[in-house]
Amino acid sequence: MSEIAFFGAVEIGLVYALVALGVYLSFRVLDFPDLTVDGSFPLGAAVCATLLVAGVNPWIASLVAALAGSLAGLVTATLNVRFKILHLLASILTMIALFSVNLRVMGRPNVALLMQDTVLTPFYGLGLADHVVRPLVVLVVVVAVVLLLARFLNSEFGLAMRATGVNARMARAQGVETDFHTYTGMALSNGLCALAGALFAQTNGFADVTTGIGTIVVGLAAVIVGETVLPARAMLWALVGCVVGSILYRLAVQVALSADAIGLQASDLNLVTAVLVAVALILPRMRLKAASKKREAAR
Amino acid sequence: MITVNGIHVTFGRGTPLEKHALRGVDLTIPEGQFVTVIGSNGAGKSTFLGALAGDVIAETGSIAIDGVDVTRWATPKRASLVARVFQDPMVGSCTALTIEENMALAAARGRRRGLGFALRGDRRRHFRDRIAELGLGLENRLHDRMGLLSGGQRQAVSLLMATLAGSKILLLDEHTAALDPGTAEFVLGLTRRIVEENRLTTLMVTHSMRQALDYGDRTVMLHEGRIVLDVSGEQRAGLDVPHLLALFAKQRGGEDITDDSLLIG
Repeated sequence: MSEIAFFGAVEIGLVYALVALGVYLSFRVLDFPDLTVDGSFPLGAAVCATLLVAGVNPWIASLVAALAGSLAGLVTATLNVRFKILHLLASILTMIALFSVNLRVMGRPNVALLMQDTVLTPFYGLGLADHVVRPLVVLVVVVAVVLLLARFLNSEFGLAMRATGVNARMARAQGVETDFHTYTGMALSNGLCALAGALFAQTNGFADVTTGIGTIVVGLAAVIVGETVLPARAMLWALVGCVVGSILYRLAVQVALSADAIGLQASDLNLVTAVLVAVALILPRMRLKAASKKREAAR
Repeated sequence: MITVNGIHVTFGRGTPLEKHALRGVDLTIPEGQFVTVIGSNGAGKSTFLGALAGDVIAETGSIAIDGVDVTRWATPKRASLVARVFQDPMVGSCTALTIEENMALAAARGRRRGLGFALRGDRRRHFRDRIAELGLGLENRLHDRMGLLSGGQRQAVSLLMATLAGSKILLLDEHTAALDPGTAEFVLGLTRRIVEENRLTTLMVTHSMRQALDYGDRTVMLHEGRIVLDVSGEQRAGLDVPHLLALFAKQRGGEDITDDSLLIG
């Protein structure tokens, strides 16, 4: 793997680490399988790119993109909490709708960011190579998000949100407004995914409606890889695990794709991802079975 | 003080499975009284407790706790007045969270939850002191997940959690039914101690007539969604399980009790 390919993989891993954190919030903390992210990620990219083309400050554009994602999360949460639509279906409805919304936002299928200033522009002139600057800037954002999120989940409010996902009945008996925590968590989760989309657009120089396909699987893969390599119960380390998982996942994909002997090409990415996630989900089960067989044999 | 006036609850109205679970329950419980509730399966005991807690909203009638009309309040809102311990220890606690996190959750019951740390040094020390009172050696296991505790330990911690925040009433829904006899005895003793120390107005649903007479100051029997027996004071002190059965049979117009589980214990 060349140096540029390595930093490229780290960069994209860091961008998707924000998706992983969002997916961790919905899947793990709230126990809400949310596919909205396939729509909120390109929504973030679309909103950010459109605003950048219109000459808006890149940080403000990124923030507005995140807010747009939160709104998408709220729509899914409302469909589920208020109108009792099954969570998976509710999120698929929002995701499908967002495809049209994203086309409307951009006015066409993709927007190129060629001459526009991005959050990265001020850092390009500092003497480091561009392919090093990009992951560094994203890293700073990711570290800030991890610290804030860990602080939030360790607060009384955050603890109530975790209880909502673990045992809603008990949480309600302890006075937790579980509906409100579901709304908040879903807004936060999709806000992070949209922020990832905004950074994706700025680091890659374009926004495209199709970039959302499979976002959820990639996010989930990162969460699972993170939980495997860094099995931690403390909130901060679980979140760090998501980030590490996301980077490792991207490096693994890069290795697989650049090893000519295997004969994979870039278009095989989704297949490779699906197989990786399936294996990661099956392995713990196999390990349990093997362990119980071993115990039986020892008897 | 709890005032219940003519509440009705029907499940699955208009379906073949329609069940009129409560058919006009009236009950007034003065401050500090410990009431035991008995009845056979399907008598409406759990529904009644659910109606007090807010899980089930009464169709007609009213419920007031400490003079506040809570008939239309949902569970989280009522939680400021009501503490509960569930039958299934898995339901009453978050097994995936640590013991101290469960305690922190309970300690904030009825309070606005802000962005301050859920577990601060002084709170940890307070939790450690309180859990040491149980005498189970759990004070050194505060970082363990709740799911690692035995059923009895979890019910004991659940009882303690019910007292961490102030409450007007304590609802115990067959909280010893899932435990072995020895552990049930321990948890019941703890229940008595905690109720007395905190002078809580308490409702305890139980399947055992023995428990119903041994604990508390008053016994209420539910049958088919109505209160059919209400004894306290000297009348209750003179009662034994066979008497209670006879009284119950008389109330039901000579109908025999067919539910064996009522006779056990």
